[in-house]
Amino acid sequence: MEMREKFSTAPQGQERMLSYEEGKKLLEQAGILVAPFVVARDVASATEAGRTIGFPIVMKILSPDIVHKSDVGGVVTGLRDEGEVSQAFHRMMAQVRGKRPDARIDGVIIEKMIEGVEVAVGVTRDPQFGPVLMFGLGGIFIEVLKDISFRLIPIDPQDAEEMIEEVKGYPLIKGYRGRQGDLKSLRDLLLKVSNFITHHPEITEMDLNPVITSPSGSVVADIRIRISG
Amino acid sequence: MKEGTRALHTIFNPDRIAVVGASDNPGKLGYHVMKSLTQGKYPGRIFPINPGRKEIFGLKAFPSLAQVSEKIDLAIVVLPAEMVPQTIQECEARTIPGMVLITAGFKEIEDRRGKMLQEEIQTLAERAGIRIIGPNTFGVVNLHYPVNASFTPEFSSIEKGTVSLVSQSGGMSHLLGFLFIEERIGASKIVGLGNRCNVDFSEMVEYLMDDPTTRVIALYLEGIDEPRSLIEAARQGRGRKPILAYKAGRSMTSDKASLFHTGSLAGKHEIYEGAFRQAAILSVGSSEELLDSAKALSLCPLPKGNRVAVLSGQAGPGMVCCDVCEAGGFTIPPFSQEIQKKVDRLLPPLAIRTNPVDMGPAWYDAETTKGIVEAVLRDPEIDALVICVMFASANRAAAGVLSEFLRENRTEKAIVACFSAPHGIWDLEIKALEQGGIPNYPTPERAARSLTNLLRYRKLMEKGD
Repeated sequence: MEMREKFSTAPQGQERMLSYEEGKKLLEQAGILVAPFVVARDVASATEAGRTIGFPIVMKILSPDIVHKSDVGGVVTGLRDEGEVSQAFHRMMAQVRGKRPDARIDGVIIEKMIEGVEVAVGVTRDPQFGPVLMFGLGGIFIEVLKDISFRLIPIDPQDAEEMIEEVKGYPLIKGYRGRQGDLKSLRDLLLKVSNFITHHPEITEMDLNPVITSPSGSVVADIRIRISG
Repeated sequence: MKEGTRALHTIFNPDRIAVVGASDNPGKLGYHVMKSLTQGKYPGRIFPINPGRKEIFGLKAFPSLAQVSEKIDLAIVVLPAEMVPQTIQECEARTIPGMVLITAGFKEIEDRRGKMLQEEIQTLAERAGIRIIGPNTFGVVNLHYPVNASFTPEFSSIEKGTVSLVSQSGGMSHLLGFLFIEERIGASKIVGLGNRCNVDFSEMVEYLMDDPTTRVIALYLEGIDEPRSLIEAARQGRGRKPILAYKAGRSMTSDKASLFHTGSLAGKHEIYEGAFRQAAILSVGSSEELLDSAKALSLCPLPKGNRVAVLSGQAGPGMVCCDVCEAGGFTIPPFSQEIQKKVDRLLPPLAIRTNPVDMGPAWYDAETTKGIVEAVLRDPEIDALVICVMFASANRAAAGVLSEFLRENRTEKAIVACFSAPHGIWDLEIKALEQGGIPNYPTPERAARSLTNLLRYRKLMEKGD
């Protein structure tokens, strides 16, 4: 992977979050598939984006100050037409401003809604272990059941496979009631993230959550990356 | 042998030991160290160091290390903490390569001076090239030499064997040491690392990987500063000797608060689990499981596959085994036709004759029981056996007959046993069974779990093949 030059910087000794666009660009350089999206600054461009991308779509708040978008009403899924997009846009602005009046808001992200199983891939730097890779199923599996697996970075292909098989929700990825994930692309994703982190010591934390996996592949649908200067 | 490894070899196999702070007062640790060495039949020479005594334990005492003219290989130090820096310098002057530093009062205490003192001795030891086990350790024991360089003479009564234990905690070392005795598990070396001044888990694993009398390495850990070096050492030794780890701190979560979901989820324990798996270290969840599995790994071949036969003299223990075996990844398949016919001939139709076999109707007939075991042992579609026999007056002969048969008919199958009787009845038979490579356990659950851990270990080993 030829990405040794620093892609983005933070002031010396400080940390900062990468913007969604920066994060996406970076992941794509590493060969990681990110869900296509359009940034919309106002309601007109949001509905326009919905038409271009094709319904249904997901709308997310775009703000450098908000890390957990859904906590402030900053994520709406399954918008099926322009009317719904327009309504959702106004409601989201009102809610986010209400909850985080201090936050800078740059608009919204309009993203293609992908069907599949939600999983998450994360990276943390442990003071003793150094870079550690995490894998789990999205939503309650991670937050309530703590159904997650860890490996030290770098990992090898077998580690990637075991990380996926180890979580209790594994049968859901293999397929349940018409939904299933794609193991091969998930393994590839884990290996790419491991390799990516090995080449980027400035990344202190990374959260790809959710990653939507389906028989057509595994796509990153939200990104949080923190770098240090 | 690497230089660091050579120093550790000397610590475990010293020709001459100085006990700095030796005493004949039972109120002092220096007394108990002398007792451990002398009662433990240490074959080398002991030099008690104590400026106030002419003789200790009938041995000539010396006022200081400087007065001993012979070369010393190991210094066991039981002085107050503030005297340790001076002692390290004296060891340097006599070019003593290794030290067991029993003294407490360093990094582990709340007072900041403890931490500073440890840093001081670390620097001094570095300069002098002295490898230190401890401080704050109960000591080290090598059952093969034998040398009991600890303050617990009772460790000398552990049977000589092939399991080596490296522990971060003195308390757990004692508990596990007593379990070694109670369960008659043979040990090679027992080491308390204490505060790990300059010998940590990774060095110890490297050393034990090359140690000819160690076949299985068992670790008890709480938390270490450089876990990656242990993982690296284990990876280097992968496939040579099994390493088991019992890591305390399951409930401890990462102290680092994070805005990130994943960051805040990274509990240390889960990271250890993942890292252990990467290094083919078998992770276990209790003291009992650590030693049970170490015993199985030291005695028993690994199962070639996951097909187990459960043969029990009574139905209940067999069912319990099935539960544990299935949860641990084994299947309990039907026997191949020919074998099933043999079993059918041996047992009346009222018994459960398919796998698991209830040998109940034959329980008073040791020869029939033997016939069943013999048949199943030959089944090519079975990889492992659990054999349970609970004592009853009428089946007293069973353990002897089975034990002898199993010893004389060792196969590549993994076999674990639960022969259970009150103390004093089947002790010799069980001992003979274990000498024949079949580990015996007090409960069917523990027997079955040890077998499932053999399977887990085999799966860990398959990685990269």
